[in-house]
Amino acid sequence: MPAPRPRVSALALAVGLVLADSSVVVLALPEIYRDLDTSVAGVTWVLVSFNLVMALAAVPAALLARRVGPGRAAAVGLAIFAGAGLACGLADNLTTLILARCVQALGGAAAVTAALELLPATVGSERRATAVWASAGATGAALGPAVGGILTELVSWQSIFLLQVPVALAAAVPILAVAKHEAATGIVEPELRRTGRPHLAANLALAMVSAAIAAALFLLVLLLIEGWRLSPIGAAIVVTAMPLAALLGSRLGPHVPSARARAAAGAILVSGGLGGLALLPRAEVALTLPPQLLIGVGLSLVLSALTETALGGRAPQAIHGGWTISARHAGVVIGLLALTPIFTHDIAQQREDAIEAGTAVILDSRVEPLIKIDLAQKIAERLEGEKGKVPTLGPAFEPLPSDPHARAQVEQLRGELQDQLDRGATHAFSPSFELAALLGLLALIPIGLSRRRGVEL
Amino acid sequence: MSAVARGRVVVVGAIVAALALVGVYLAAGGSSYTPEQTQNPCKHRPWRNPQGLQEIAEQFSLSALDGAACQLGVSRETLARALATTASREAFAERYGIGEAELAKAIRAGLVRAVDDAERAGALSPLIAGPLRDTVERIPLDQAIELVKDARSALGDLETFLGPAGSLLEELLP
Repeated sequence: MPAPRPRVSALALAVGLVLADSSVVVLALPEIYRDLDTSVAGVTWVLVSFNLVMALAAVPAALLARRVGPGRAAAVGLAIFAGAGLACGLADNLTTLILARCVQALGGAAAVTAALELLPATVGSERRATAVWASAGATGAALGPAVGGILTELVSWQSIFLLQVPVALAAAVPILAVAKHEAATGIVEPELRRTGRPHLAANLALAMVSAAIAAALFLLVLLLIEGWRLSPIGAAIVVTAMPLAALLGSRLGPHVPSARARAAAGAILVSGGLGGLALLPRAEVALTLPPQLLIGVGLSLVLSALTETALGGRAPQAIHGGWTISARHAGVVIGLLALTPIFTHDIAQQREDAIEAGTAVILDSRVEPLIKIDLAQKIAERLEGEKGKVPTLGPAFEPLPSDPHARAQVEQLRGELQDQLDRGATHAFSPSFELAALLGLLALIPIGLSRRRGVEL
Repeated sequence: MSAVARGRVVVVGAIVAALALVGVYLAAGGSSYTPEQTQNPCKHRPWRNPQGLQEIAEQFSLSALDGAACQLGVSRETLARALATTASREAFAERYGIGEAELAKAIRAGLVRAVDDAERAGALSPLIAGPLRDTVERIPLDQAIELVKDARSALGDLETFLGPAGSLLEELLP
């Protein structure tokens, strides 16, 4: 059997890798949409399918892990995850990609729940095991979009999945020794205690907070790429603020013994951050950083605290862990499915309003009428060419007039027009961010009702 | 500090941080960062400094757009984009269910309003306004659209536009 340290790292890596997969493709969705020539609703299922299968499969996977042995379940789960990742990377149509994502989620569910069964023996305590498992998951989920964005920009969307193959296999290697030990001895070493039903309040709160966090990641990425026209790598760098803040939160967590206080503080911070994103005073990347800081610290506090509460004093760990995975991913699915139609409608409406306001700017500007007419025609052509999107109007202003006075007027007009489009794009996301903030605040109700078994809060 | 006290401090700290962020963003104009609202085209807009042919022509076009948009029940901006190209005009007609005849009628009404506004603003003398009003009430749709888009050419070449009398009337332009 390998020394505990590499096995702990391997298990944390496996958990982080699988849970990052729930959000890793967020920044790649526009590329997948174009590459596979599909619809917006269709491409959303690349994200939804994985989370939905994780939500449905987590508890059955945990039961299976207990039956066949957590070592074998984790190793086989990671192998399935890697194989399906390869299929995702090679998929040349949406159906294949979604099917492969479903299989990936099945393997991932087995690996993540089995890891929780393996960790207590590896780290020496159930509490420490829960903390490692929960923080690996939170870090993976927060890092996912940034890593996916960088890979999409530098290589391709397929590389996200292809890179997962060696990483998953590398994580499986130290676990193989446990699997071999189980196979050789026939000892499954199941946790015989069966204490407690699933913690309803903590799992409900997890689902609500996960919906809010998924919305935060998904909507922020869309705002940056589709609204403010950042490149995937640019957006990836910006959203890195969230996992960095989550790291800060994970250092703060151990200083607060009360899980309920950490969960409440985390949910409040997530909601406050989302409230900030709903009230952005300008279309400036720097203004997204304070809200991201709050969300990052908040998600680290709330996810780990609620996971600890849901698992504390309960056995078997894998099954209760399965319930938390199920709750988190169900929350992500609900968040995506509930908020996507709202912001899709709002962005279409705001696009119209921004174009109206932009046209008013052109009509009322002091630019020569003939330049206005020429501009109006070019802008109309761009709008026609970019149906359903916030248009890029820069090329419509090229070439700039040679006369310095006219050039200055046109440049001022371009600035004013861009301002109207930025206002429209930013405002389009506000109602969805507000709704997500409300979800985070509503999670305070089950958090208030949650008490960890056998632990004084 | 006891565990309970530390828990309270963290929760209060989170509330303060969340409220501070929301408060600062609200104070910085977060709730009003929206596209500007367009004006009702049926409401009269005063002409700004109608001096010189170019300025008059521009104000004339805007008044004509307002008048036509008011008749059609759309914004001035929507109509301006619709008139940019033939394709955008067809798309507009399809979206709002507006036929050629209705569009022509609205644009002519808009041109009449533009002449009225120009006369009221002192940009056109009554001697020009009268025949110009009669002319725009009868012109074909394509010519009416051209007049809205480029009133300067028509106003700058009244002889061609109004006939021989135009050359005499041209002298009366401010």
